[in-house]
Amino acid sequence: MVMEKLKVLHVDIGGCEGCNVSIIRAYPKLMDSVELDISYLRDGECMYDEYDVALITGGVCMNEPRIGEELKEIREKAKVVVAFGSCAALGGILRFCRGGQAPRPDHRNFQPINSVIEVDYSIPGCPPTPQMLQSFFKYFMAGNETRLRLFKVTAGVKKLSGFDLIDDVVLTGLCIGCGACELSCPTGAIKLIDKRPTLAQERCIRCGTCYIRCPRASQIICLGGVKT
Amino acid sequence: MMPVGETLLGQIRAVYLGRATDEEILKRKVASGGAVTAMLTYALEKDLIEGVVTAKRTKGLEGEAVVARTKEELLETAGNRWSIVPFAARIKAKIEEEDLKKVAVVCLPCQAQFFGQMRDFPILETDFGNRIKYIVSLFCMGTFAFEAFLNYLRVKYGVRAEEIEDIRLSREFLEIHRETGVLAIPLKEAFSYLQTGCLVCSDYTGVWSDVSAGFVESEPGWTVLITRNQRGEELVRGAEKEGYLELRDGSHVLGDVLKKAREKLARAQRNMAQLL
Repeated sequence: MVMEKLKVLHVDIGGCEGCNVSIIRAYPKLMDSVELDISYLRDGECMYDEYDVALITGGVCMNEPRIGEELKEIREKAKVVVAFGSCAALGGILRFCRGGQAPRPDHRNFQPINSVIEVDYSIPGCPPTPQMLQSFFKYFMAGNETRLRLFKVTAGVKKLSGFDLIDDVVLTGLCIGCGACELSCPTGAIKLIDKRPTLAQERCIRCGTCYIRCPRASQIICLGGVKT
Repeated sequence: MMPVGETLLGQIRAVYLGRATDEEILKRKVASGGAVTAMLTYALEKDLIEGVVTAKRTKGLEGEAVVARTKEELLETAGNRWSIVPFAARIKAKIEEEDLKKVAVVCLPCQAQFFGQMRDFPILETDFGNRIKYIVSLFCMGTFAFEAFLNYLRVKYGVRAEEIEDIRLSREFLEIHRETGVLAIPLKEAFSYLQTGCLVCSDYTGVWSDVSAGFVESEPGWTVLITRNQRGEELVRGAEKEGYLELRDGSHVLGDVLKKAREKLARAQRNMAQLL
């Protein structure tokens, strides 16, 4: 029996292209199971009216109504929406846009896409590796919801960062000093001092990787202790 | 064998009771059957892995991350771990320093979760999950906030950290072994010195591991082994086939393990309501 390939749409709504490159790098190993509709590989509009999965990269600029509309259209077309990368998932570094800055002083506010539409899975990372996407599809196609639970739960959260990790896990006394966060920070913002993480706040890019990699934090949000 | 189901104990392939066949391993073990040491000795000697990264007690309750490459080195690390080692960062340094391509980690459920998540979902380019061949998690009711615990031992019992040779767990007591004898502290008293994080942890066996290993009161001298996937199954069965491990079916003890897991979950839910 030939399995029909998953129809996957990729749409970037404004980011640095890091996530897009990651998706393209992941594609060779996904070709057998996934048909990827991505702007780099076609001219003009997207190919189909309906998709199994939409991968969205980049954050929503709330000062661009057009993007909100576009997201809603994608939500209509796709059975499952995945926010891929920290900007789409949690706001990420785009949270630093606050208006009045070159080159687009009119861009005053960016949000993760779950501020505009319902998201099924959020995959933080700045950017997530190609292997991460391959893994995601492996578990998704196997219907393994248990393994994907963390990403499912993260889809309901709007902001996770080193600050949240410090607030929720360290300052509550729940940290046991395992060091997972220190290893997970892409910018080296977290260092263990006296067996507890300390955040160099000017280095934190709000990607949220430390939070979902912290055994305690990820366990708590998976148990329903969802942050709002 | 049981169906694969997602329960409080995670995904289960099979449950065994295991015991090392090697006299030397058995001699050094107190409560359990030395199955973890036996399995990993098999993996090392058959070149399935280059090293085992685990924790070793240095002094008092302090530990450090070490790489064991032989049975001897493994035996030095065997035994209960009472304090968590900031394992993750040091394990990476260890793996990279020694350029290990295939390692097994022996760890607690929370660490198994980190390694398992990293291996299954490599978010970062710097992740090293592909080097971790086996994740072996030990059953865990929590680890001590050891500065606080040691201070309490010193103040109440006059025990200095450097005198502690071993810490063992019996049914109702925590036994502190010193050259001068054994001090038995009621568990109830000791448990208030667990780390706060452990009090909200809901994972008793280590659901992200390949193999979980632990002890049940009803089977003294045996290690309970829960395999979770093909990888874990191959490790356990391979060790049996090559004569390192004696195996029995362990389905009948799953209820005991589940009971402990429920206790831990109930404790976590109770404490979460208070702490968060």
